[in-house]
Order: sequence, then C-alpha cells, then structure tokens
Amino acid sequence: MQFLRCFSTTEGCWKSACSFVKPVHHLVKIDKSKLSPRFPELKFSKNDIRSPGFKPVATHQDRVWDHYKHTVQSDMLLITYKHGAQVKEGLKKREWDGSSPYHINRQARKPKGSDAQLPDIKPIKWHNIPEVESVVINCYVKEAKENQLLPITAALQLQQITGCKPTPVYARNDVPTWKVRRGNKMGAKIELKGRPMSQFLATLTEIVLPRIREYKGISNKSGNRFGGISFGLTSDDVRFFPEIDSNQDLWPKTFGMHININTSAQTDNQARILMSGFAFPFHGQEKIK
Amino acid sequence: MFSKPTCARNALRQMSQPVTISVRGKRTKSKGLVSPALQRVVTQLSVMSAGKKQPRMLKLSREDLIKHQVIQRCWATFQQESREKQNDQMRAQYKSAEKAMHMLREIDTNLYNAANANEAGKRFPLEIRIPTEHPPSKIWNYNLKKKT
Amino acid sequence: MALRNLIKRGLATSATPPNVKAGIIISRTPIVTKELSKLESQYYEYQSELERRLMWTFPQYFYYKKGTLAERRFLALQKGPVSKQPGVWFPKGVPDVRHNRERRIKQDIKLPSEASVGSEGDGSSEDLSRPITPNSRVTEADRKGDLTSLERSLSRTLYLLLKRTNGEWAFPSFKTKSDHRSNENLPLHDIAEHGLRSIGGENINTWTVSRTPAAVLADSKTAEFFIKSHIVAGKFVLQNTKEYTGFAWLTKEEIQNHVQKPYFEELSCLLSDV
Repeated sequence: MQFLRCFSTTEGCWKSACSFVKPVHHLVKIDKSKLSPRFPELKFSKNDIRSPGFKPVATHQDRVWDHYKHTVQSDMLLITYKHGAQVKEGLKKREWDGSSPYHINRQARKPKGSDAQLPDIKPIKWHNIPEVESVVINCYVKEAKENQLLPITAALQLQQITGCKPTPVYARNDVPTWKVRRGNKMGAKIELKGRPMSQFLATLTEIVLPRIREYKGISNKSGNRFGGISFGLTSDDVRFFPEIDSNQDLWPKTFGMHININTSAQTDNQARILMSGFAFPFHGQEKIK
Repeated sequence: MFSKPTCARNALRQMSQPVTISVRGKRTKSKGLVSPALQRVVTQLSVMSAGKKQPRMLKLSREDLIKHQVIQRCWATFQQESREKQNDQMRAQYKSAEKAMHMLREIDTNLYNAANANEAGKRFPLEIRIPTEHPPSKIWNYNLKKKT
Repeated sequence: MALRNLIKRGLATSATPPNVKAGIIISRTPIVTKELSKLESQYYEYQSELERRLMWTFPQYFYYKKGTLAERRFLALQKGPVSKQPGVWFPKGVPDVRHNRERRIKQDIKLPSEASVGSEGDGSSEDLSRPITPNSRVTEADRKGDLTSLERSLSRTLYLLLKRTNGEWAFPSFKTKSDHRSNENLPLHDIAEHGLRSIGGENINTWTVSRTPAAVLADSKTAEFFIKSHIVAGKFVLQNTKEYTGFAWLTKEEIQNHVQKPYFEELSCLLSDV
C-alpha cells in the first residue's frame, strides 16, 4: 500500500481529486481555522454550548446501557470469573540469544506461529468487565464502479438508519480484474457510539433480526480474535429497518452492509456471551479454547 | 481572439449553403436537463448536507451561559457518582465471589472444580430482553409446562 | 474470621468438612426501564429541547414528492413561519426564514395521522391505524400489593425470598446430602436448581448465571454458597409446606425490611439497585 499524506491533514487521502504536496512539509495537522482571530467560537471544544459544532448528547434515557449496567454487567463478571486466574501471555517477539555479536541491535524474531504480537489476556475483574465500545457499519457498494451515484444513496441509507453522519469510503487500490480504481468512492461507513449505538443495537435485535426469514443468528465462527464480532445484512434485510420500511417507495434500491461490533472483551468467546446479553442470537459450532 | 473573424467567415460560408429550418415543436424534455434518477440523487444529497437547513447558532446571555454550565457540572458530578457507585458494587461482587471460591476450595475440591469450570459457550437466554418503556401486553409467561 | 476458623478446622479435622448448603438468588430482571430521578428527567428534557432547537430543517421534499396529495396534506397541517416584511416591527425579533423554517427557534413538525386520512377508525383491534395506547407501567399486582406476583414493580429487579416456619425470611437454600461420596457428581448450581424445583414446582424456567457461587455465608457449622439465577418463564408455586410457609418477590429495599441486618449486609452487594 502506498502512503500519501495531504498537505495539512491525513483525511481523505484516498480521494482521486486531491492535491498533494510532496515532499511532506507538515507532519503536524494544522487547523487553520483556529489560527485565525476571526472565529473565536471555533476554539471551544465541541461539547461547549458556544461552539458551532455543539450537539447535545444525553437527550434521552439510554435503555440499552441501563440494561447492561443493571443486569448484564454483574452477570458477565460472574460468568467470566475464574479463581486464581493469571495473566495469559500472548505471543511475543523472540529475542536473539546473543550467541553472536551480530545479534546486538538485530530486530527481534517474529513470534512463533503468528505474524504479529498478540496481546496478553488478563483475568476479568471489576474494572475490565467486557462492554460494547462501538459499532461500525460499513456499506461497500460493488456496483459503484459503474455508477458513481450509488455511494450517495448508500450513505443516505446509513444516515436514515442510524441518524448519524456517514463518511465516504474510497477504493484503496487499483484492482484491474474487478475494474476498481483507486480513489473511487465506493460506499459509506459510520462509527456509532453512545446513544446512537444503543438505538441501533435495540432496533437490530428487536425489529430487524426477528423479521428476517429463517434467520439463525450470528455465526459462532465470526470474530476477529480480539473481541470484535462482525456479521452482514443483505440488501433485503436492510428493508426491515423501520425508517426504510415505512418509506418503501423512496428506496427502490437498498444496500447490504457489514456490521462490526467492537467490544472491550479480550476473546471472542467473551464477546459472544456479552452480545447474547443484548438478545443477539448465535448459531453454529463454537470453538472453545 | 484573433481567430474570431475567420470563425465568423466560416460560419457565414456554411450558412450560405441550403439548410433546413427547424421549427420549434413540442418539448420532449422536462424543464431541467436532469434525468429523474439524477434528480433523486440530488435530493438525497441535499437531505444529507447542511445547505440552507442549519438553524441559527445559540446566542446565550452571560447569565444563561452560567446557568448552562452549572447544569452541565451538576450532571457530570451525578454521572461520576453513579459510575463510582456502580464500580464499587462490581468490586464488592468480585470480592464476594472470590471469597466464596476461596472457601469452597478449602471445603470441597470437587465442588470447587465444578464451580471453576470454563463457561465459554454460555449464552444469555433470548427471553431476557432489553427493558422497554412500557410493558408488553402479556407481561409474563406463566403457562410453562415442563418438557417430558 | 469465620474463614480462618474454617481453614483451621479443615486442617485439624479434614474428615468432617462443614455442612455445605447451596443457596439460590433467583431474580426477575426488569421489564420496563428504570424510573428516572427528578434530576435525570429534567436534564433529559433540557437536552432534548436543545437538540430540537439545533436540529436541521426537516427535509420535507424528500418524504413528500412535490405536487402529491400527501404533500398537500402535510403542508396543510404545518403552521408556517411569519415572514419578514419591510417597515414592520416584530416584537419577538426579525424573522429569519429559510426553507419555510424559522431559524431562530425549533421546528414543530406535525405528521398527518393515518386515521384521519383513510376510513374512519372505530378503535377495534383490527384497525391498524388506531392510536397507540401504551400499557401502564403500574400493573394490577402493584395496585393490590401482591408480593407473590411476578408482574409487580416492573421497573425493578425482583428477588425470590422464602419465609421459614420460624418466621424468618431468607433466600432459598438447600442442603447437600450429608453422605459426601454419593453427591460427588452434583455441582452447586445443580443442587440449587433441583432444590428450587422441589419446593417451587417443575413448571419454572430458570437460567443459571454461572456455576461460580456469588457469595458465601459461613459460620462454624455451615457454609452457604449462593448461586445467581434468573427466572425466565413459568411460575413459582410453593410445594413443600413443612419447611416454608410463604414466598415473595421483593426488591432490594423490601428485602432490607424483611431479613435481618447482618444477612442483608452480607448479600446487599449482589442485589441490584434497579
């Protein structure tokens, strides 16, 4: 992957029409609007009511979070409790034994059986009980390579479902066999946290997933080993979201999406137990370590 | 700039040749040159963008600002207190379980081993739901018969 | 202290371990959201008003196509803003209208109700467009003060307490069999669940939270381990009347009033405040 850096920011460097200044002069991001004395409001943080970007956060009771705090959290503590548990060390890079003078300053070897170092698994105590951190919804539209208008519709779909602002997704590489060109807008994604996340999870488990025909649940094989769980919704499943369901004629075409649930669990097994506390069904064989 | 007269001359030469005069007929296209599909996308874009849709910024008087800041501070304190309370409860629960397991190990190894088993495949039952603002019509399922 | 005694006893006479009892803290999880305190409800109201004030203008052109009947119906309901006129004094400030919205205040949107549009709703259950009337958060059991009902205090976690023949209230607990070897295969949570069914009938569905006991109450003779569990469906009907005379589903505060103080203080950290 080729890394390019914009002049003053690293955002949007996959856009096709974007000017790059080489060599890179500024490695520190400079927000020029804040340098100007003309807009003193911009210097306030976003959660200050004087800032133009102010948006109230705690506008209603967060019932999903309350459910977690009052029921799931203490249960998770007890389920994951293991008496006398020690820190289980993950795979680490191997140092050279120093038998040769050339070992000094030589890079440590890769860990055995893995390309990267793996994190330690710490016993669960009261301060690190797994919880849901964020939900990332990623909507990649394959047909966008032919029709550049589709990513806009996909972004609006995400915005309607979640009520938050999506960010566009750009193709990162040229893939001639798929006719994908680097810098093309290919879809949209959203990272949800806090109340919008709770709202989304509740809608998903209470309205959308139960209406999917012959839905078995999230696969027990899904997971990124470090407490992240992903699954997909097809374009037909997306129609069950109430925002789209009640405006069917506005949505002649819907887009499937990938949903990644990031938890603070250290293993996927724990993350699955946690997600089942939010009434997510699971199916299939689970590999238990 | 300089080629303009020659351009005009060329045009005149073309004009001198016989041409068919087009008569304006019925409009075949709608007013804008935008296709309906494109128009839909334009509408969709405008739904997402802030153009002309943003309200005025809040202008608080000094007194209102201080009131607001007091409210925010109060809320932050309340949140912190409830967070600490919850954290203390979790710590107490952990200590309580630890004490129980410690004692169980002293008393009975078999019971201890059974209690300390790995519970990786555990799932919450689907009947435990996220509480709603109002109860369902059938609040509790009483008519449960044991499966034989 | 009790623990140290136990360890000493265990070291001295390992042949006679103390009696192990398996208790069960069975709870009904809340069905409705928790009651908000005054601070919370007022703060939420304040913040949501701020949010409404700062919301973007409703993109009505997206939901209602231009020139349709639905659009006319929608527009007829909206109260349009006062527009700016030259030479007119506006006591509440000069209007700043854009996209048919007064930018200085929140936008009030009224949606045409389906019932007023279509056939006249007669309020029957088949009529899908009837107005939604949410069920009451206060149930019949709350009004009667029925402590044995599972439908009371929907916003709170309820715990099952039993009344012994001597009039004391406690969480259900069951003896493991005195003969140690025959009981070897039955772990604590199974003893607790079987015991619960022996006194509460078979028609009850519970979910044991964990095999790990959540707490222990110990004196020199017995050690009572508490297993946490949730009732999921079914009903607890008291069967064995010799040992227990009654039962109740109680919240944390009510438990405090029912049981003795040291008993409550030992277990209060396990009970949810909500």
